[in-house]
Amino acid sequence: MGIVIAVISGKGGVGKTTTTANIGLGIAQNDKKCVVVDFDIGQRNLDMLLGLENRVVYDMVHVMDENIGIKQALIKSKMSPNLSFLAASQTKDKSVLDSDKIAKLIDELKQEFDFVILDAPAGIESGYEHTIEFADKAIVVVNPEVSSIRDSDRAIGILDSKSKRVKDGQEVDKFLIINRIDAKMVQSGEMLSSEDILEILSIPLIGKIPEDKGIIDASNQGKPIILDKNSKAGQAYKRVASRVCGEKIDFVDVESVNSGFMQKIKGMFS
Amino acid sequence: MKTKQYTAKIFEVELEDSSSFFSFFDKNYLFFQNSLLVINGEENDSIKKYLDNKELKYIFNLEVPTQKKQKTNFEAYSKVEEQKPEPVTKTAEKVVQKSKTNLKVLDKLIRSGQEVKVDGDLLLLNRVNSGGSIIVNGTLIVTQVVDGSIRCSGDFMMLQASSKANILFHEVEVDNKLLQERLNRIELIDNEIIITPALKEKNWV
Repeated sequence: MGIVIAVISGKGGVGKTTTTANIGLGIAQNDKKCVVVDFDIGQRNLDMLLGLENRVVYDMVHVMDENIGIKQALIKSKMSPNLSFLAASQTKDKSVLDSDKIAKLIDELKQEFDFVILDAPAGIESGYEHTIEFADKAIVVVNPEVSSIRDSDRAIGILDSKSKRVKDGQEVDKFLIINRIDAKMVQSGEMLSSEDILEILSIPLIGKIPEDKGIIDASNQGKPIILDKNSKAGQAYKRVASRVCGEKIDFVDVESVNSGFMQKIKGMFS
Repeated sequence: MKTKQYTAKIFEVELEDSSSFFSFFDKNYLFFQNSLLVINGEENDSIKKYLDNKELKYIFNLEVPTQKKQKTNFEAYSKVEEQKPEPVTKTAEKVVQKSKTNLKVLDKLIRSGQEVKVDGDLLLLNRVNSGGSIIVNGTLIVTQVVDGSIRCSGDFMMLQASSKANILFHEVEVDNKLLQERLNRIELIDNEIIITPALKEKNWV
């Protein structure tokens, strides 16, 4: 049986979908079978980030409502044979979602895959509640700024009261990704440090992703940044994916400015 | 003709002598920044000047129309007068009785959007995040930082508030700047709100 992981944030635009795409691909590169599911009904984006825009024929709503088999709707990624994708409907809205149908869909996916990653919509409405309902674990994506942290705090609160696992008396494990860290701004005190964020949200950290302009281009081209070996953000996502797969990897400091090799040499002479 | 209706906090002050008035307001004028003072007694230019200086709104000699007598009326007592044996107010008595029977201990992070209402006393061993809220009608102690909102109407509370917090004690807003020490005791003694730092950072382990 696979593990269901919901990627949530509360606030929009913090990098949920980018994180989902990269972690999904990272898990697949770790030789685990992984499916990423876009739950943002009516505003799907994950297909673009994975470069599968032109290959969507059937989506999640077709599977739930129109007797289309799950195998027909799943799209295999060219980037890794282990990675599959299930699209959200672009024409319907979130009112088509229904707990029983989602339970059945997720159950089928769990039989097939080691990891089922759900990309939650922004906000805390019914679409979000349906995403977290059957999650075993959650990855919370925040940016180092107060509005993102408060919204995530609220999203975690709802997760802790409305998911099925919690209602059954178990816990949903939550892990934190701090996204878009700008080392210079953290150093100058303009950006919240990860210690402050961890103290407020009090859930364990699973990754710190530095700000990287390359992500925009990567998204536009449909090639997740994790494929770029020179990108710091890509490497950070790679470490997160390995941690999700159960490996123990030390955290890399992305918050100090003088972490480059050249700077270290300069530091020796200054 | 245009009329507007406002709901405002009004505090009635019985003026006895100006020196006790000044010593009380020197200490407590911050609490009255957003409310209206009704001063009953002889009109006095030095008091007017003093209140204008502190930017407080006031009216002299007005009968306040009330349905019930307010629970938390502030009266000007100088320190010397406080030492006289004063009868304990009824509200304080009630709370003291409650504290003996009804203490709730909670070790839970209060997240944004969550509200905890307790009928009685509460000891909270975790943070109150921005957007979270606590309503207690007894005594309240919070051992970690408060970023959210607190309403407490017991006989005292102890907490540390950040600049984001919104703290109401007996429906009176308490200035966050006075609550920055590691732990502060806020209590109602003879109808006066007194804030004392209970712990300095160094002593806290």
